[in-house]
Amino acid sequence: MDVALLIDELKATFWSVLTALVPLAVFFAAFQIFLLKLPRGDVRSIVIGSALAAAGLFLFLMGVAIAFLPFGRAVGAALGALEQKWLLLPAGLLLGYVTTWGEPAVRILADQVDEASNGALPRRLVLPTICIGVAIYTGLGLLRIGYEIPLLYLLVPGYVLALVILWLSDTTFAAVAVDAGGVATGPLANTFLLALAFGVSGAIGNQDPVLHGFGLVALIALAPIISVMTLGLLVRRKEARKEQ
Amino acid sequence: MISELKQRLSEASRAVAPLFGLVCLLQFTLVHAPAALFLQFIAGTPLVIGGMMLLFMGVEIGILPMGRFIGAALPRRGSITLIMAVAFAVGFAVTVAEPDVLILAGQVERMSQGAINGTIVLYVVALGVGTCVALAMARIVYGTSLRLLLGTAFAAVLVLSFFAPSAFVPLAYDAGSVTTGILTAPVVIALAIGLSSVLAGRSAAADGFGLLGFASIGAIIAVMIMGMVMQ
Repeated sequence: MDVALLIDELKATFWSVLTALVPLAVFFAAFQIFLLKLPRGDVRSIVIGSALAAAGLFLFLMGVAIAFLPFGRAVGAALGALEQKWLLLPAGLLLGYVTTWGEPAVRILADQVDEASNGALPRRLVLPTICIGVAIYTGLGLLRIGYEIPLLYLLVPGYVLALVILWLSDTTFAAVAVDAGGVATGPLANTFLLALAFGVSGAIGNQDPVLHGFGLVALIALAPIISVMTLGLLVRRKEARKEQ
Repeated sequence: MISELKQRLSEASRAVAPLFGLVCLLQFTLVHAPAALFLQFIAGTPLVIGGMMLLFMGVEIGILPMGRFIGAALPRRGSITLIMAVAFAVGFAVTVAEPDVLILAGQVERMSQGAINGTIVLYVVALGVGTCVALAMARIVYGTSLRLLLGTAFAAVLVLSFFAPSAFVPLAYDAGSVTTGILTAPVVIALAIGLSSVLAGRSAAADGFGLLGFASIGAIIAVMIMGMVMQ
């Protein structure tokens, strides 16, 4: 990698971590002064923890920019050049699954759900469910780029489906589901899967890669909403059967 | 501390390992990218794992407790206005700070050939997010049905998809997915869990979640409405 490019990347990553951290810091400071008045020990661990998280985020984003962004594009270009376009479906399924499996915010959410539900919604159930949802929609999303199907043909039925399942599901699952949709589009998906989509779209040619690539992100945000609420329905059915 | 570090390291490695393995497999079977690019990939992966390890530790030690303390302190003054104002401020501030939202705003400006100012887009999205976070917080306090709130929001998104100018629709959906940053997600969740923990007779699982997702729907609706107003 070019040294000048690397320095540019370092600067950009540093700024994006800083802009993510500053509003939080200001917010906490205001609360601490006017309302919280926490003892010094608590403040110290919050400051240390936030600094650790910021340093970690910096390293993580740098690593993603160096490793996953350029390679995602290479993988996407190779996939887009394939003669058999249907292969985009299994490739999207696999890549969507493993990318979400590595998405840090998805893990944080799954941990929080596990804790808040006292283990009733264990992480080993929630995490794979989110991954499966994203996997299916990444597969369909890549296929859509390959066959040039309009985005709304996937998004509108998806939202209709989400509305229908929402009608049937429990509040807890509905709540967790929409949050899962928010965290699934984290830094890894936004770089690796987006680069993948750009690569596929670019290799197929005759398309605006920006428009097609971003469409995939919109699909990824919708996917876990459907899969987590479906999990909720399955869990409830199993419980109902147990009671009989 | 050391055992904690080890545990986080093993978690981060297990998180990244499948993706790493799959990419390596694809490289040798299908992609055949230049060796330099592949080496760059190999070199960046330890950064990703190390960064994730620190991030997980920091979130546990600092970010989650911060959110929980603030959430639990909010009802102390007994003012719903304060709670909603704080929720709005959080939603607004984190959206304005999110780098991806800026990129999106630039796109809207380009798409409309400069007719729509990017800065306006930024504030419209932030307004949508802030309003939705405030509504979601009020819901926790009053115990309103989340399904009703979500159902209305989803239906609004669907209806607006057909009426908003077609160039705005994909952008609106993008706006929905760029609003939840990795540091803000745990804060917002912890905030809601903290708030729910001090209200009597609530389940943290049902109350603590939904804010983030609701925030992104707010962004979608805001951009679509803006598109309709602009035309």
